[in-house]
Amino acid sequence: MDKQKEPKKDVSRRNFLKMMGGLGLVGATTALTGCEHSKEPIIGDFNQPLVGDGWVPEQYQTAKNWPAQVRGRIPIHPKTVVLDRNDQKCILCGQCIEVCRDILSVFGYYKLPVIDDVVCIGCGQCIMWCPTKSLMEKNDIAGVQEALADPNKFVIVQTAPATRVALGEEFGMPAGSWVQGQQVAALKELGFDRVFDTNFSADLTIMEESKELYKILTGKYDKPLPLITSCCPAWVKFCEYFYPDLLDNISSAGSPMQMLGAIAKTHYAKKNNLDPEQIYTVAIMPCTAKKAEIKRPEMNASGRYWGKENIRDNDAVLTVRELANLIKTNGLDLNTLPEKDYDPVMGKSSGGGLIFGTTGGVLEACLRTGYYLFSNQDMPEHLLEFTPVRGLKSVKSASLDIPGLGTAHVAVLHGLSDARVVFDAVRRGESPYHAIEVMACPGGCIGGGGQPRTTLPPSNDMRKLRMNTLYKKDAAMNLRRPHRNPEIIDLYRNFLEKPLSPLAYQLLHPVDFKSRADHIQALDHRRKV
Amino acid sequence: MSKGVLVDITKCIGCDACTVACKMWNNIDFGENARFHAQERSEVHDKNAFMLDYKNWTKIILHKPEKNGEKVWRYVKFQCLHCIEPGCVASCFATALRRNENGAILFYPNLCVGCRYCMLACPFDVIKYEWEKTFPLIAKCHMCSTRMEQGQAPACIGVCPTNVMTFGDKDDMLALAKTTIQNDAKYVPHIYGEKEAGGTAWMYISDIPFEQLGFNTDITTRPIPEYSYDFQKYTKHAMVGIGTLLTALFLYTKRRNNIAEEEAKKKNN
Repeated sequence: MDKQKEPKKDVSRRNFLKMMGGLGLVGATTALTGCEHSKEPIIGDFNQPLVGDGWVPEQYQTAKNWPAQVRGRIPIHPKTVVLDRNDQKCILCGQCIEVCRDILSVFGYYKLPVIDDVVCIGCGQCIMWCPTKSLMEKNDIAGVQEALADPNKFVIVQTAPATRVALGEEFGMPAGSWVQGQQVAALKELGFDRVFDTNFSADLTIMEESKELYKILTGKYDKPLPLITSCCPAWVKFCEYFYPDLLDNISSAGSPMQMLGAIAKTHYAKKNNLDPEQIYTVAIMPCTAKKAEIKRPEMNASGRYWGKENIRDNDAVLTVRELANLIKTNGLDLNTLPEKDYDPVMGKSSGGGLIFGTTGGVLEACLRTGYYLFSNQDMPEHLLEFTPVRGLKSVKSASLDIPGLGTAHVAVLHGLSDARVVFDAVRRGESPYHAIEVMACPGGCIGGGGQPRTTLPPSNDMRKLRMNTLYKKDAAMNLRRPHRNPEIIDLYRNFLEKPLSPLAYQLLHPVDFKSRADHIQALDHRRKV
Repeated sequence: MSKGVLVDITKCIGCDACTVACKMWNNIDFGENARFHAQERSEVHDKNAFMLDYKNWTKIILHKPEKNGEKVWRYVKFQCLHCIEPGCVASCFATALRRNENGAILFYPNLCVGCRYCMLACPFDVIKYEWEKTFPLIAKCHMCSTRMEQGQAPACIGVCPTNVMTFGDKDDMLALAKTTIQNDAKYVPHIYGEKEAGGTAWMYISDIPFEQLGFNTDITTRPIPEYSYDFQKYTKHAMVGIGTLLTALFLYTKRRNNIAEEEAKKKNN
């Protein structure tokens, strides 16, 4: 009896080692997983509460009621097609909100509470100011690469005027380097089927816009003065939000980008027996707002032409930064590429189209053609350098004597906060101007939100360099007047008949101002100043 | 002096600066989806559905309620409301949650045993558990207690570009809320947090009824600890009473056994 009750005391060496090994494993796992859960040692001062041990910028280290230059950051629409933000990189420096408020006059100018939108004009200046690259454009490279890889797709690309003076900076060239030829070569290397020039459609825009101005001034067109340019999508959005009553003043002509897309999918497709549904149009723009522009419901003039609403005038927009990214990831170096020319039919442009890239350029080009329309004679050479509208002053006004019209008063605005004075004057009916050019970004497209942010900070030094290159190239061109562009003349002769013809109206004026006015009325009660 | 915050929901533009400031100040991991943080918000209308978690002590949720027959957007910032009489503090037997003199509910991680009683006690579903960790603790906003001690506002409040939140003494904030509502007809006559759960340090005013913005309006105005206090206040008496009773019983049975043994001895003798 006694022997049975006695517990077994023998532990074999094997079992003992097993037991020890198991304990060791458990201990190791505990140590490894347990040590990460607490910021303090597990055994320590038990009377220490959890407190913040991180960092916030200097400007927030004060009591709440102390004034601070800038706080916070800009809001982003949850489904925006323009902006993207990496929260992990954001340091809440407040520079995005500073530029949005002080340069663009968007943040702080809308009514709170918000209604059902995030008020953003998409200009992308916040991207230029963001010091940590937390803010970015929505990346559309994948879609373009997919189209390029698709053998059925005919991929057409266009490059905006301001891209050719900025792209070089991404490849180590000094600011303002002229890389038009290399850019075309790079695009052809990347596999784009046709490389067209937005300068060409800039000429086309001038034809339409100056004709519109001509008709208004000669009383054939019932539209209020001044005529305001429509090329800048950020400005159009700004107008819809803050000056809906001025929408009637905006030219009904589409932007050069839209026009080229529409012509490519109609006239060019017809001429070359291409299926417009298989054409994929890409635009290389110095602009982020263009990404929102192509998504606007009315930007399918070519679709309406073919009776297929799903055809969009432009399928994708890449910023200059995205293009540089695409070129680099494909192993190309812009410095070593040979210069190539744009493809014909939509590759030739006048100096007037080229200077679209800078503030004052649209209006200057418009005057060159407008002068011809009124006086039936070409603008004299000495007026081609119309210096009053050049430079980086935020509000520039000028007058020009045009035979057949009298004195034309024009104004050029860029960077929207200073422009508000002029808009308010127009609203009160006190504006003396016939035509106004508006660009949202300081310096126009050369300082656009999609431009490289490499060599120089977004300053006037950089803008001047890029601007000077454009003006220098314009001065060196033989063809400086948009209405003398042979390809434009051909296009009107073979397809569009004449400026503001019904067909031109259908394709190149995606929003005629009547429907735009309806649009305003629908939105008027919700988007207030 | 107890501090308070007044949140004016009508001013929020949803920039998420406050949530980033919270993560920066508290060194919280952004997680894999940092880039899409802003898009993560969904349209929720459930009560208490603020989707906080242990890595997100504060969040902004976009709600799309109807106002005058039209859908409108409202961003709601949510975090621990820091009750004046907090249920979580009362429920914690390890005293890992305590309220300091500024009114912030602080968490003492070295005392926490991970029992999650506080999560059950919280009427706003604020306290979250580190479910992904091997030895989880709870996590919640501590109202940047060290910043408050230095006279600064909590990190989320300081960074707000539109001054959604006002920071000050609790009584001043309540008075401010009352005058704001009186002077502007757009606000609904309700200060969320004035009476909810017996009053909270964070208070909200809005132009949309709170039940449409994900707030739990079906909530008691009685402080949470009071419920259990009614019977738990007898704990001490009960402990002493039961102890005395058991001791008496023990002594009684012991004595009886002794007597029985002695009597048995006598019989045997």
